Amino acid sequence: MTDLSLADFQPLEPGQEIHGISRPSQSYWQDAWARLKVNKRALVSLYLVIGLLLFTIAGPWVWTVDPAQQDLDQVSRPPGADRNALIVADYAPWQTEGLSFGEGLKVVGDPTTQAVKLKWDAIPGANGHRIYRNIFPIGPERSYGIPRAEFFDNRVVTFEDRLDLKALTYYYVLVPLGPRGELLDNYEVIEVDVHRVTTIVEAVDRGLIEESANLQIGDEINLDWHPFGTDYLGRDLLARLMAGARVSLFIGIGAPFLFVLFGVFYGSIAGFVGGRVDQVMMRFADFVVALPFLLFMILFKISFGIGPGESGVFPMLVALVVLMWPATSRLVRGQILQIREQGYIHASQLLGAPTRYLILRHMIPNTLGVVLVTITFAIPSAIFTEAFLSFIGMGVAPPTPSWGSMSNEGIKTMLTTPHELIFPALFISITVLAFNLLGDGLRDALDARMRNQE
Amino acid sequence: MAVTDTPIDSEESFARSAGKQLAIYALYALVLLASLIYVFSLVAGRTGSGTSGGAVDVANNSVTTTLRQEPPQLDAGRSTDASSFVVLAHVMEGLLAYDDNMQLIPGMAERWEVREDGATFWIRDEALWSNGDSVTAHDFEFAWKRVVDPDTASEYAFILYPILNAEAITQGELPKEMLGVQAVDDQTLEVQFAQPTPYFDKLVAFNTYLPLQQEFYESTDGRYGADAEYMIYNGPYVVEEWIHGASMLWRKNPTYWGDHKGFLDEINAAYITTDINAKLNLFKDGQIAETQLLAPMLPEAMEKRWQIDRVMDGTVFFLEFNHREGRITDNWHFRRAMQLAQSSDELVYKVLKEAAYLPAVSLFPVWIQGLNDIFRTEYPPIEHKLNVQLAREHLEMARQELGLEEFPPIVFLTGDTPISILSSEYYQELYKQNLGLEIRIDVQNFKQRLAKMTSGEFDVVVAGWGPDYDDPLTFGDFFASWNLNNRGRYNSPEMDAQVRIAQAELDPKKRLDAFGEIQRIVYEDVTLIPMYERGWAFVVDPRLKGFKRRSVGPEVDFNFAYIEEVED
Repeated sequence: MTDLSLADFQPLEPGQEIHGISRPSQSYWQDAWARLKVNKRALVSLYLVIGLLLFTIAGPWVWTVDPAQQDLDQVSRPPGADRNALIVADYAPWQTEGLSFGEGLKVVGDPTTQAVKLKWDAIPGANGHRIYRNIFPIGPERSYGIPRAEFFDNRVVTFEDRLDLKALTYYYVLVPLGPRGELLDNYEVIEVDVHRVTTIVEAVDRGLIEESANLQIGDEINLDWHPFGTDYLGRDLLARLMAGARVSLFIGIGAPFLFVLFGVFYGSIAGFVGGRVDQVMMRFADFVVALPFLLFMILFKISFGIGPGESGVFPMLVALVVLMWPATSRLVRGQILQIREQGYIHASQLLGAPTRYLILRHMIPNTLGVVLVTITFAIPSAIFTEAFLSFIGMGVAPPTPSWGSMSNEGIKTMLTTPHELIFPALFISITVLAFNLLGDGLRDALDARMRNQE
Repeated sequence: MAVTDTPIDSEESFARSAGKQLAIYALYALVLLASLIYVFSLVAGRTGSGTSGGAVDVANNSVTTTLRQEPPQLDAGRSTDASSFVVLAHVMEGLLAYDDNMQLIPGMAERWEVREDGATFWIRDEALWSNGDSVTAHDFEFAWKRVVDPDTASEYAFILYPILNAEAITQGELPKEMLGVQAVDDQTLEVQFAQPTPYFDKLVAFNTYLPLQQEFYESTDGRYGADAEYMIYNGPYVVEEWIHGASMLWRKNPTYWGDHKGFLDEINAAYITTDINAKLNLFKDGQIAETQLLAPMLPEAMEKRWQIDRVMDGTVFFLEFNHREGRITDNWHFRRAMQLAQSSDELVYKVLKEAAYLPAVSLFPVWIQGLNDIFRTEYPPIEHKLNVQLAREHLEMARQELGLEEFPPIVFLTGDTPISILSSEYYQELYKQNLGLEIRIDVQNFKQRLAKMTSGEFDVVVAGWGPDYDDPLTFGDFFASWNLNNRGRYNSPEMDAQVRIAQAELDPKKRLDAFGEIQRIVYEDVTLIPMYERGWAFVVDPRLKGFKRRSVGPEVDFNFAYIEEVED
């Protein structure tokens, strides 16, 4: 024991250091934010969500390609494909007069992606010919490849192939036909190296070169760059993903925001008033839960007079808002019922707090955590619903893309050009995962009971 | 320090051993799973090959195939769909038939004569129904009178209109007994024409002209064609078993008169599907004997070294305009602008990329025969060139004629097949780029699309037309003002005059000139914009020979198919 003097009992001068509260006082939100920051998964998800919003809103300012523009020279190109091309003259129908024959199956002129021109001499004993195109060398089995044309007439000795030519090596096969159109054995084959070309008109059209640019036939230029490749109509996948994100996020954020707002309003009335009103309101919510979503979506589409070829995004939004609110309203009602019976509410009431003060000061702030978590979980489910509806063709109208309709288009060519499916599917997955993980993190951070578990 | 270290050590070793244990369990589980999968796949493979004989069953001389859809019914007089036509082509035979090279050959009739005012058919003695009765001229008379009977409400009744009074009977103006067809005796069938019909021999090979035995028909009590037991057959095969919604089995008909058809003992239509991806998988598994191939499947087919074949399926696809009054598409300048702003080459070669498709250039497909040569060699279609500049000028003229500030959105009615939707999306962007038009795509299934076409709820429709019989007229009368299939209601006296010549002219040269004129009018008046002629790349099991896919008649034809073992 130290000896106490009178000076020890003197009041402190203002501004002098005291001991007591050692850490700054933190509000509920500051505390939640602090705990969210520690949660790595949630933080990464938060960055992803912010990145996604930037991608959607700022993306089109940076990458100004029209998502509907068709680049038919580069259909279904995977990302990073070769894109240099030679300039050639505009396509003109092939004039076959004056060709010299006598050398068997030969290529006339340069074989290009514009056209491969073939000429041949009638094979002895043939009643006509069939032209095949193969991407593999011809083996001993009579597998010649894709039949490109059949002429049951020996006078026809030229053929121009323009079908979907790529910069590859093709093997063209000339097979003679018997009197009844059957294939004879003495075929001829020629190997053809096709190179990619474009014309000045097309290049100017696509804005690859200036109209005044002094380009000659035979010069080399680069075709449009598509960082994520192109789809089945040669449309830029990155631009479509950005445009699709707008639809997906409009539904994904707009719908949950609206129906959660309504749910909060509805649930808090039911919870706060209680009794018979609560009973009736909650039974009505049960009724709404039982309504089938898809059917209502179709009904709304019809009753809004959404004609053929018009976007079904608005009825989708309405259907989501009208049918999805009961879950939130139940949650909020439960929360309000619980809070209403808390001791501090009674204390507050005893101290003469008016109802308005109770609602604004105690009820709403205390349900806000729950509501926020509901929203973050509702967003991925709404995005998924949109993707699903667009996948089955109920959502956007072409040419507007959405991630769901893009997946639907990509799945048709999944085996040959997988990038058309992988990118939209990846964006859906990442978005849904990011919102889910963020919701998870928010729930943990906002739950006051978790505070002691650090 | 050493003392406190021990528990940590043991904790670590515990974790390690637990991990080891878990890894071992996981390994066990994996091995068990793999062996289970192996056993199950083995069992499944056994049962799979046990229940069905595979694509080609050499021992039983049988073949397995698919049907596009289940036939609604097999009453030849009322059938309208491709699937029914396929079945009927195997189990029934008309007066005349086609051989394996698309030439007309005698069927039930052993000889025939087509005159200016009528035709006579002499029916062969040895022709029998599957119940053992003879096929007689009365069976044809009964069948044809039933088709034109308004009570039968046959959608194909119009194809009998060349016969005297047929049209009036269908309209209910005359009794069906007045139809210009009469069985003189059991063997002789006399037909009177309403107007000269030089192509009547080709018509009688069509399904609606198939015979029907009155006695049997009446015994079925209105259920004729609804099931295998409610039918009798006169073709090379009979329907042995019809499991609705699942499969159909055809067996060789022992009473069939000829030995030039029906070499297989059994044809098993074991699957009903339109999904070409599913068909490809069945073919790869050796479950079906033939399948079509779409463009994305071709690289794989080439890698597997299949022998790919091709055929034009006969159909021409086109953009058909709505010519009803008050529609924007009724304006010639507008249609001309749309015509000039596109080229079917780009559509087929760069967008659709189907190997067996041809860019269409005319209403008449490439395989139609002319006088001595191919029709389009004798009557070359007008050469079309893409000309955006001129198209814009025509669009401007259309805008002034119609007195519009701006064009409203154009409704593009289209089917729900991937190819139709793809084409529509291509045109949507094309017309936006080249003409600044806004296109709204209205995707509908086949029935809905037909209903909307009939009621005129469209501006442009993606439509197709396939041949019913092997004569240019099957395409030529499409835009006659009285043709109900002319759903854009195109109405031009010039066109009607040419169609009338084509229908009744006996001089083949003059008749073909009329078709040449029709081809010209269609292009110059922009009645339609040709898109593509459909064809199929397909593969057939190498053991199956003589199998045909056709442009006219049944799309798949096993009538001349036989099995030949391939020596290895």
